[in-house]
Amino acid sequence: MAQRKIRNSSSVGTTTSRVTLNPKVARRSFLKLSAATAALTTAAMTTRMTAKAASPAAVKKAYPDSKMVRSVCTHCAVGCGINAEVQNGVWVRQEVAQDHPVSRGGYCCKGASAIDMVTSEKRLKHPMKRVNGKWQKLSWDTAMDEIAAKMTAIRDNDGPDALHLNGSAKVSTEMAYLQRKFAAFWGSNNVDHQARI
Amino acid sequence: MAGVANTWGYGAMTNSLNDMRHAQAMIFIGSNAAEAHPVSMQHILHAKEVNNAPIIVVDPRFTKLAAKADEFVRIRPGTDCIFIMGLVNEIIQKGWEDKEFIRTRVAGFPEMAASCSQYSPEEVENVTGIPAAQTRKVAKILATNRPASLTWCMGGTQHHIGSSITRAFCILQLVLGNMGKSGGGTNIFRGHDNVQGATDMCVLSHTLPGYYGLKDGSWKHWCRVWDVEYDYIVSRFKEKKWMNAKGFTLARWYEGVLGEEKIEQYTPIKAMIQWGCGSNSNSQYDRVVRAYNKLDLFVIIDPFPTMAAATCTSDNVYLLPCSSQYETSGSVTSTSRQIQWRHKIVEPINGCRDDYSIMEELVKRLGFADKFYKNIKEVPEDITREINRGTLTIGYNGQTPERIKKHMENWHTFDIETLQAKGGPCDGDYFGMPWPCWTEEHPGTPILYDVSKPVAEGGLPFRNRFGMEHTYEMSGRTENQLAAEGVYNPGSEVKGGYPEFKDVVPGTNWKTDLSQKTLKEAVRRGMAPFGNARARCVVWTFPDQIPIHREPLHSPRPDLITRYPTYEDKPNHFRVFTRYKSEQSPDLAGKFPFVLTTGRMVEHMGGGAETRSNKYLSELQPEMYAEVNPRTGHNLGLRDGEMIWIESPEGGKVKVKAFFTERVDEHTIFMPYHFGGVLMGESLAGNYPAGHAPYVSGEPANVCTNYGYDIVTQIQATKDGLCKISRA
Repeated sequence: MAQRKIRNSSSVGTTTSRVTLNPKVARRSFLKLSAATAALTTAAMTTRMTAKAASPAAVKKAYPDSKMVRSVCTHCAVGCGINAEVQNGVWVRQEVAQDHPVSRGGYCCKGASAIDMVTSEKRLKHPMKRVNGKWQKLSWDTAMDEIAAKMTAIRDNDGPDALHLNGSAKVSTEMAYLQRKFAAFWGSNNVDHQARI
Repeated sequence: MAGVANTWGYGAMTNSLNDMRHAQAMIFIGSNAAEAHPVSMQHILHAKEVNNAPIIVVDPRFTKLAAKADEFVRIRPGTDCIFIMGLVNEIIQKGWEDKEFIRTRVAGFPEMAASCSQYSPEEVENVTGIPAAQTRKVAKILATNRPASLTWCMGGTQHHIGSSITRAFCILQLVLGNMGKSGGGTNIFRGHDNVQGATDMCVLSHTLPGYYGLKDGSWKHWCRVWDVEYDYIVSRFKEKKWMNAKGFTLARWYEGVLGEEKIEQYTPIKAMIQWGCGSNSNSQYDRVVRAYNKLDLFVIIDPFPTMAAATCTSDNVYLLPCSSQYETSGSVTSTSRQIQWRHKIVEPINGCRDDYSIMEELVKRLGFADKFYKNIKEVPEDITREINRGTLTIGYNGQTPERIKKHMENWHTFDIETLQAKGGPCDGDYFGMPWPCWTEEHPGTPILYDVSKPVAEGGLPFRNRFGMEHTYEMSGRTENQLAAEGVYNPGSEVKGGYPEFKDVVPGTNWKTDLSQKTLKEAVRRGMAPFGNARARCVVWTFPDQIPIHREPLHSPRPDLITRYPTYEDKPNHFRVFTRYKSEQSPDLAGKFPFVLTTGRMVEHMGGGAETRSNKYLSELQPEMYAEVNPRTGHNLGLRDGEMIWIESPEGGKVKVKAFFTERVDEHTIFMPYHFGGVLMGESLAGNYPAGHAPYVSGEPANVCTNYGYDIVTQIQATKDGLCKISRA
C-alpha cells in the first residue's frame, strides 16, 4: 500500500516538468510525497522512488541557463546531498542527489523541503529592536552601532564575563570557529552551544 | 562526549553511517534514528536485510525505530547504565568477552568486571523493569553476532549520570571486541547538521578549538596560530585566572542572570548573544524566559525569530536577520566525521546578511578586527586554512578547502560500502576525509582505532592520552596503559604500544608543532602521532571511576534511592552551584507520579524555529501533544484528545493535547520538544514581529523538563524527570 502510494506520488513530481513554477502543484505533490514517506515510518525515500524523481527525462528539462549547485542539507547530521538548480540567482528547483555516497538520493520530509528555508515568508527581513515593547525596524548600521556600543559599555562597567555567547551547531565549521575565537578575543570563556545539551 | 573521549581518546562517532551496512547486529539505546536521522535508515536496514543482522532497540517508548526492531527492550528512563553494565556482567559471567582484545588493548578490565558483578540480570530487572530473561537474551544476541554496532543519542546522554552512561556503552563494545572494526563501533548519531564541526571547533565554555583545553599552553598554542601576542589575549580578560576557568554553559547560563543560585563569577551576566540557537531547547524554560527579560542587552541572530524573540518583551532585545546556510558557504562535518563543503546556492535574500559579515561588522566596531582577521582575507577559505593550521589534535589539518571542494565535485566517485573513491581525482580518499586526516596526502580515517590498516591509509590505534601507567585505587594494581606487544598498525616501526610523539621539533609535541613535521614523521614511520595505548574501563578523574547506576535525581522509585543515591552537591560546576544530594528526595514521586521524557519527530528540528516556519512541514505536523498510555488516561478519567496540564516539580507547566497511545507505558509521559510560541497556556503569537510568527505554535516541552545536570559535562537531564498531569 505504502509502496504504491509512493510510486504514484513520485510520478506526480516527474510528470510536472517544472514543479516550482506552479506553487500549488509543487505543494500538492510535495505533500503527497512526504505524507507517504512519513507513513513509511523510516521516512527515507526508497531508491526506486528517487530514481524516478531524478530520471534523465526530468533532469533534461532544466530551466534555461540554470546551473546546478551541490550543497548539504542543514537539518540533521546525516549530511544528505542537495542539488540546487539556480537560475538568475534564484533557487528554482531542488533535486535529489542520487549519486551522493551517504544519502544516495534519500531525503526525509525536512530535507525534501529544504528550499523553503530560502523561500519561506517567515524569514526576517530587517534588523529590529523593541521600543516600548513594540518591534521597530532599523538599519544594519544603526543596529550594529547600538549593539557594539552597549556591549562596550557593559564590558567597561562589569567586565567581559558579563556577556554570554550562545553559539551554534547550525552554522558552518568556519563560523563556529569564529564564534569561539570571538569569545577569546572578547576576553571570556562564557561561550557554549547546543552540543552541551 | 566527555565519557567517550576519556575512554579511548576522541569523543566522536567511531565508524560511519555507511559502515553500518557491515554490522552483524545493531543495538540502539536512546536513539530514534527512524525519526531523528531518517536517511541513515537505508544503511541500517541494508544490514538488517542483507546480513540478517538483528536490530535491538532499547527505549522507554515503542518508537518508529522500535517498529523495525527484532528485539524491543522497554527500559525505565535513566537506568541505561545498569542495563548496559548488567549486559557486560552477563557477557563476562558466560565467558563471551573478547579475551584477546581485552588482554592487548583494554585497561582496567578486572576492576570493571568486579564492579559490574553486582548487576545480575535480576537486579537489572528490579531497577530497569527489563525482564532478566531479556537481558540474558540480548547478551547472547550480541555475543553471537559480531561485530555489533552500538548507537546512542540524547536519550543516552541527557541524564545526571550521562557521562557514566556513555562510558558504559564504550565498555560494552570493548568487552565484545567490537572497536576498530568495520561493522562495529560506537556510532553516536549527532543531532544538528554541524554538531560535530561546532564541537570540534569547541564553541564550548571549557576548551579552545580542537579540544586543547584552557591551560596556559593551550592559549599559547592558539595565540601562535592566530599570530597575536599571548599577553594581548591575557589583557582582554578581567584577570588571568578567568582564562583558565570554565565558563557558564548553555544549560545554565541563565543562573548567571537570575541571581537565584550561588554563582562563582565577579559579575552577573548582563548581555546575551544567541547566534543560531533555538532557546526553547533549554530545560526549565520558564526560568530562561525570566532571565531574558532581566538582561541589559539581548541580541538574537537567526534567519527566523526564535521563541526567545516572543518571550523577551523588554526593550533590551535586538533581532538580526542572518541568512540561512544555503546563502553562504563553508564546511560542515557530518556525524560520520566527514567534512563537506556547503556551496552558496543563492545570495542572502531580503535584507539578510551572512554570519561572516555580521561577525566582521561586530568585531570592527569592537576594535580588534586587525588582530582577529590577521590571517583571514578570503572568507571562508582562509578560516578553513587557519583551522587546518591549528587543529592538530584531531587531525583537521589535511582537509584543505581545495580538497573538500574536490570531494564535493566528485561525490559520485565514492564507493557506498567503503566510502573510498574508486579512481577519479579523489582516488583512494575516504569521502569527506573523516578526521584525523594527518597530512594533505592522507585519505582520512574512516574507522577510528582500526589497527588493520596502515596509519597512512586511515588506520589508528587507541590514543595515549592518560599517561604511561596507573595504579588503581580500588585494587592497588598497577597497569601499563600502553597497548600490548603485537598490537600495531601494518608498517609501524614499533610492534606494540608506544607513547605520543614529542620533541621531533624540540620543545613541541604532535599537537603543538605548527610546522606539522611531527605528524609527518609519525605517519612516515607508520605510527600514530598520538601513540598506541589501551582504552580505559576506569577513568580516575571522574567521580565514578567505573560506571555505576545512580537513581535519576527525581526518581520515581523512592525505594531505590538509598541503594543508588546521587552525588554530593557540587558548589562550582561551570560557575554555578549545582544540587545533587540536596535535590534528590524520596517524597517527590508521591506528588509527581509520572516520568517525563522528551524526543524528536521527523517533521521538526531542534526548537523548531525553522521547521515550524516551513509551510510544508507545518502542515505535516501541526500540533503539540503528549503521549499518554490509555490505561493511565482512563484511570485519571481523561479522554483521548482532551487538553491536559502537565506540571513539573519546579512549577513549569504546559497545556497540551493528550494523545493516548501504547508507545509509552503506564508510568511515562512523552512530549516532542520542537514546539514553541505558547507559554504556560498563553499564546505569544502577538509578540513576534508582525507576519513572522511561525505557522505552527505549541507549548515547549522544556517548560516541564526538570532540574538536573550531568556531574561532568552539565548536560541537562531532560529524559528522566517527573511530572503530574490533570485535565485542563
